Amino acid sequence: MLALPAAPALLAQEMPKIEVGVPDAGAETVAHFFSAPQLAALRRLSDLLLPAMGETPGALEARAPEFLDFLIGESPADRKQLYRAGLDALNAGARRKYGKAFAELDAAQADAVLAPLHERWTYDAPKDPLAAFLREAKADVMAATVNSREWVQVVSQRSRTASGTGIYWHPIE
Amino acid sequence: MALTPYDVLIIGSGASGGMTAHTLTKLGVKCLMLDAGPAFDYDKDRSLRPVYDLPYRGFGKPGRFPHITQANEFTAAIWADEKENPYSYDPKDPYYWVRIRRIGGKTLVWGRASWRLSDYEFKAKDHDGFGDNWPLAYADLAPYYDRCEPLLRVSGRKEGLPQLPDGVFLEDQSKDGPSVTRFLEEAKKRGIPTTKQRRAQGALASSMNLLLPDAMATGNLTIVPNAVVREITTDRKTGLVNGVNFVDRRSKREMHAKARVLVVGASTLESTRLLLNSGIANSSGVLGHYLFDQFYVKNTVQALTPEAGGGGGYIARFTNLKSKDKNYLRGYAVDFGSGGTPDPKYFPLYGEALQKALNANRGRGFNATTMGSVLPRFENHVSIDKNVIDAWGVPSLRIQARYTDNEFNMAKDAMNTLAELCQASGFELLEKHDRMVPPGESIHELGTCRMGESPKTSVLNKWNQAHDVKNLFVVDGSAFVTGGSQNPTLTISALAMRASEYMAEQMRKGEL
Repeated sequence: MLALPAAPALLAQEMPKIEVGVPDAGAETVAHFFSAPQLAALRRLSDLLLPAMGETPGALEARAPEFLDFLIGESPADRKQLYRAGLDALNAGARRKYGKAFAELDAAQADAVLAPLHERWTYDAPKDPLAAFLREAKADVMAATVNSREWVQVVSQRSRTASGTGIYWHPIE
Repeated sequence: MALTPYDVLIIGSGASGGMTAHTLTKLGVKCLMLDAGPAFDYDKDRSLRPVYDLPYRGFGKPGRFPHITQANEFTAAIWADEKENPYSYDPKDPYYWVRIRRIGGKTLVWGRASWRLSDYEFKAKDHDGFGDNWPLAYADLAPYYDRCEPLLRVSGRKEGLPQLPDGVFLEDQSKDGPSVTRFLEEAKKRGIPTTKQRRAQGALASSMNLLLPDAMATGNLTIVPNAVVREITTDRKTGLVNGVNFVDRRSKREMHAKARVLVVGASTLESTRLLLNSGIANSSGVLGHYLFDQFYVKNTVQALTPEAGGGGGYIARFTNLKSKDKNYLRGYAVDFGSGGTPDPKYFPLYGEALQKALNANRGRGFNATTMGSVLPRFENHVSIDKNVIDAWGVPSLRIQARYTDNEFNMAKDAMNTLAELCQASGFELLEKHDRMVPPGESIHELGTCRMGESPKTSVLNKWNQAHDVKNLFVVDGSAFVTGGSQNPTLTISALAMRASEYMAEQMRKGEL
């Protein structure tokens, strides 16, 4: 005689907790805000701002450019304009100096175009669109990287304090 | 089943409403407390979450809180939604109005800084001729400060400074690192007084855990959450208030609560907004006027210390004490701290070079934030904007306030003083500036329902009692006459305690 599984009625009443992942665990962001040349410039810029270093992932591994495409696409008009004008200025500067798009420059050439990043921070944002954009992009690319699954999973194994976890307050009804 | 009977109706559950309930219920007075927001459970309503699991990866939904720089994606649910709670201002004079509509109010997230005001504030007009005196002196409030500090578990160190009276403290004997020690020595050489922070201690320092539980335990308090008060109702025959009309936050069901005595502690501008919408207590015409706060110059200086170390402290107001020694009146205080790593923006580098610089400078950050006195001026005011209605149909405020030369001159002086101190201490100055955040961002808005001796120039008497309506009390920061550079919450608590004891005594005598 077959042994029946124990108490099937009880099993049906259990409320299990299932571990689910985040969208980035299995899929890529579809970038649709920036134009192709703007996105290419943003990818190159992101890689320069925060490259992978040893085991630690960089902006590209963290998919920071694609995330910023999403974030800026949802942002108020002045932020959208800051990014678009800045990325266009990167490409324009690269063409003027080297006859190529920003994404095609080597590190030394790119550094020349990124000259505003070597200026001291001042309270008032610079008026030049490239300089104003770069100072914001530097902070945004770092945050998008450091807050990514890729970064948190690697760095939290090394350091207990850099856990990337916070206390989230649930929305009220 | 009969309604729960009560004597006093309290609007607001934060520092002022909470202290009022705490004081009254212990004296045997039955209270009903209304708060616009929900209660919440610290265990069930929060959870640990990785930042990458937040929809905006920690950046927060863009444009959600245009006026709340303090909000982040983890804490977004705490702050009052700006779309549900709109307000207006002239675009030339931006004002940041920051609200929390939950049981506990802003005490859920406040910075804990707990300073006593002195007679340099209470008798400011006697001292420098500007503005008005409070209708009470430091000696009148001292016994209440004595009782509030232990309730709020304030830590600190006694200094004997007349402009920053000592209190009943959990003694702070923490040590400072070598860089901060040098900074303190350089300050001392220049006659600049410093001390430890004075802060309410504990994982939570809120009316929710410090005041309301004891009040509930007396059996004399009923708390009704999600009650958005629209207006105060008045008995036409007697001229006394007799209750409030409110709606349920979620369903908008119309309700009315009676009041024998009404205490409004809805937070400075909400209380004034309620009185303005109710058309009461304003024979003086000053309701809404004399809005001020503290101006903040965040990160006035950012520096690198020669060695990593910790420690921090506070510079107490030291200018214009014995006589007017500056091109501005009154003075500023400074919060300073060390031991962090400066923000990457201060290093003109990127990529691997930046990471190397951040590693080399770990723990060597030093920064200081200036908090300055703002002069109360009649023309800085709020009024009802009938075109701006909140999600429950209540007209909101138009806020008009701007800083003046007194504040700008003070900020510049603070910047120069701090930069000089950093340099004398051997720090490398990364940045200095004197630019203030917009008015209101300090979340120390005060005034607009001020106390005074004369009903012609003030709304409340020295007991926080409306001159025009004796059974109406307003107990929060709106009652302030002048604020100084000290964070106001401790003083708000002490005033609420004092007003409550007076109120209870008046009720016992049959006067209310």
